Amino acid sequence: MLFNSIEYLIFLPIVFIIYWLLKNNYKNQNILLLISSYVFYGWWDYRFISLIIFSSFLDYFVGQKIEDALDKNKKRWLYVSLLSNLGLLGVFKYYNFFADSFATTMSTIGWEVNSLTLNIILPVGISFYTFQTLSYSIDIYRKEIKASRDIVAFFTFVSLFPQLVAGPIERASNLIPQIEKKRNLNVTLIKTGIFQIFIGLFRKVAIADNLGIYVDSVYGNYEIHNGSTLLVATIFYAFQIYFDFSGYSDIAIGSAKLFGFNFNRNFNFPYFSRTLTEFWRRWHMSLSFWLRDYLYISLGGNRKGIVITYRNLLLTMLIGGLWHGSSWNFVIWGGIHGLFLSLEKYTFSALKIKTFNALGYIYTFIVVLIAWVFFRAPDFHSASTILSEIISFNYGSLFIGNINTFINAILLLALGFVIDLKIFRTNIPLEDYGVKFSMLKLSIIVSLIILLLCLFYSTAENFIYFQF
Amino acid sequence: MNSEITKKLLKLIGLILIISFGLDKLVFFSLNKISDEVMTGQAIGKLNQFLSIKDSTDFIVFGNSRANHHIDVDLFSKNGFNIGVDGVGIAYNSTLINTLKNDKKQLILIHIDTKNFFDPNYDGSDIRGLKTKYHREKNITNSLNKSKSLSVLQRFYYSMNYNGNSIGILKNYFKPSYNYKTYSGYDPLTVSNSQQEMRDIILAKANTSITEDCMGKTKMNTTAVNYLKSIKSFIDNSPNKKFIFVTTPIYNDTCNEDNKLLSTLMQDLGLKYLDFTNLYKDTKDNSYWKDATHMSVIGAEKFSAYLSEKLKPFM
Repeated sequence: MLFNSIEYLIFLPIVFIIYWLLKNNYKNQNILLLISSYVFYGWWDYRFISLIIFSSFLDYFVGQKIEDALDKNKKRWLYVSLLSNLGLLGVFKYYNFFADSFATTMSTIGWEVNSLTLNIILPVGISFYTFQTLSYSIDIYRKEIKASRDIVAFFTFVSLFPQLVAGPIERASNLIPQIEKKRNLNVTLIKTGIFQIFIGLFRKVAIADNLGIYVDSVYGNYEIHNGSTLLVATIFYAFQIYFDFSGYSDIAIGSAKLFGFNFNRNFNFPYFSRTLTEFWRRWHMSLSFWLRDYLYISLGGNRKGIVITYRNLLLTMLIGGLWHGSSWNFVIWGGIHGLFLSLEKYTFSALKIKTFNALGYIYTFIVVLIAWVFFRAPDFHSASTILSEIISFNYGSLFIGNINTFINAILLLALGFVIDLKIFRTNIPLEDYGVKFSMLKLSIIVSLIILLLCLFYSTAENFIYFQF
Repeated sequence: MNSEITKKLLKLIGLILIISFGLDKLVFFSLNKISDEVMTGQAIGKLNQFLSIKDSTDFIVFGNSRANHHIDVDLFSKNGFNIGVDGVGIAYNSTLINTLKNDKKQLILIHIDTKNFFDPNYDGSDIRGLKTKYHREKNITNSLNKSKSLSVLQRFYYSMNYNGNSIGILKNYFKPSYNYKTYSGYDPLTVSNSQQEMRDIILAKANTSITEDCMGKTKMNTTAVNYLKSIKSFIDNSPNKKFIFVTTPIYNDTCNEDNKLLSTLMQDLGLKYLDFTNLYKDTKDNSYWKDATHMSVIGAEKFSAYLSEKLKPFM
C-alpha cells in the first residue's frame, strides 16, 4: 500500500479510529497495529509476510538468549542473529549480484561459468527491517537495552506500518519503550503530524514526481542528450530523490504521530550543508547514524590511528552504498562519499578548521551531484558516459520535453526550496513546525497544499527507496 | 484520546474540508472562466479551438503526436484541422470523434498505431487528457465516467480537472503562443544542425532487423478494440461522413505481424484502412526524420503530398 494512494487514505483513518477506541488497553492497540501492519505490507505481496514473521521470531528469541546467556555464549547468540539476518538479506538482495559478478570475473580469466543467477524477487523493505532487528540484537549484546519479553510489542516494533517499507530505521531503544506503554494523543501531535503528512505528500507527489518525469526521459535516452541537458537532469534528480525520500519519511513520521509515536528525524535539509560530513548528518539520518554506530564504531572508528580511521570511513561508505542495492554503481556511489569524507577529515585536521566557508555549500552539492550520477544511471558505462559529457562542458541547447511538465517541475522545485529555506532559517525542526499554527491557520495551510496537490500531482509508480 | 482532543481533531478536519472545498471551487471556476478564453497551446487551447470549429470544417485529422507532426491538413483542404495531440491513443480520439455532429458532411482521417492495439498495458488512460472538459462537455463527461479512469477524489475536488495544465493555461491566457485564427493544428518538426547528430544516433539505434516473434506483442488489447468499435458505431450512424484510418510511416518497423493483424481487424469491421508504416523503410534518408517514429518537416511534407493524392477520390 502506497502512502500516496487512495487505499492509504482509507486505511489510515480506519486504523486511527479503531486504535483510539481501544485507548484503555495499549496491548489491544498493539495487536491492532500488528494486524494493520501485516495488511499494509501484504497489500504488495502477502507471501513475504512470512519472512517478516520469521525475522521477528528469530530476533525475539535470540534477543532473550543474548540477554540471558553468560558472556561467552552472548557472542554466539549475537552471531546467530547477525548470520541469520544478513543471510536472509544476502539471499534475497545480493545472491544474483555476487553470482553474476563471480561469473563475469571467471570469464575474464578464461573460465566460462554457467549462469548461477536465480529468479529471486526482492521483498519490499527487507533492508530496512533487517537493519532494525540487527540493531536490536547488537544493543542487547552491548547491554544498552533490555530484551523485549512482550512478543506482540516486539513484532509490532519490527513491522510497524509507517516505517516498515522504507524507514526511518528506528532504534529499539527509542521505539520499543513507546510500544510497551500507554500512548496518548494530544493537540501537539495532531498538529505536527497532520502538517508533516501534507508537507510530505506535497514533496513526494507534486515536486519529486514532476521532476522525475524529466529525469526519466533524459536518463532513459542519455546517449542522445548533450551536457547541459544531462546536467539539468542530474540536478533535478538530486532534488527528486531528496523530495521523494524526505516526503516519504515525513508521511511516515506524521502518520506515527497520529498513533502517539515519536519517530526519529530522518532528514534535516541536507542540501544546506557546508561539508560532506555535515551532509551525512542531515541525509537519511537513521541510516547514517546506524552505519556510524554499528559499523564504523565496530570497525574501530577513529580510535586506532589515522590510516585505520580512513579505512573505516571508506569501508563504511562502501557497505552503505551496497546496502542500497546490488550494483557496482551503488558501491561507487558509496566510494565517492567515503573518499571525500576522508579527504575532508584530512583537510580539517591539516588546516585545523571545523568547517568550510560559504563556498562549502557549492563544493558539497557538486560532490553529491557527481555521486548521484552513479546512483541514478543504470550501469557503470552509462554513468561514466553521462559524467564525461557533463564534465566536457560541451553544452548545447537544453532539451525541454513537454513544456508544461518542465515549467511545472521548475516552479514546484522553486516552491519546495523556498519552503525548506523558510523552515531551515527558523531553526525549528520540520517535525515540530506544525505546532506553531493555530487550528485555523493550519487548516488554511493544509487546504492550500491540497489545492497544489490537485493542480500538480503526478502519478509515479513508486517511492524511489522502495527498491532498496 | 479524550473528548476535548476528539473535538479539536474534528474541528481541524471540518475546517480543512470546508476551506479546501471552497478554495477548490474558487480556483476551479476561475480556471474555467480563464480557460474558455484560451485558444492556443496544448494544455487546453488546441482542444478549445477544435470544439469551436469541429462542425464547420470539412476535413479533420485525429491522432497522436505522429498525426500532429505528419499530416499537413492545408494540402488536403483550406478548411481542415489537425487535432493530433502528444501522447494520446484511441480512447482520447474515440471520445472526441463522438462529439462530432452525425449529419455534417466531413472527411475524417484517424491516425492509429499498432503499438496502441498490441500494448498489453494499454488501459485507455489517455482519455484523462480530456479531463479539463469534465462536467463541461456532455459527451466527454459521459466517456470519462464510463472509462472510470478519473480519481474518485475528482468528485469532491474539481480543480483536479486542471491537473498539470493550470500554468500552461495561464501562460496562454496572458501570452498566446500563436495566432490561432491561422493555425491548422499541424505542427511540423524541424531538425536544427545541432540536432542532426543526435537524430542520426537515434536512427542508427533503430536500424535493427525484423524480430520474428514481435516480442510477443501480437495479442489484441481489448480496451483499444472496444474504443475502435465505439468509433465504428459512430461511423454507422454518420452516413454523410467519410472515415479513413491511416498509419503513417515509421523509420524501421521491426514487427510486421501486428500490422497484418490490425489490417485484418479493420477489414473484419468494414473500416477503410491505409497502412503506410513501411513507406520510407527502404529510402533510408535521414533528413525525413526527427527520430525513429516522427518525421521531420521534410518527410512530413513529402508524405502529406503523397497522402493527399491517395485521398483525392474521397475528397
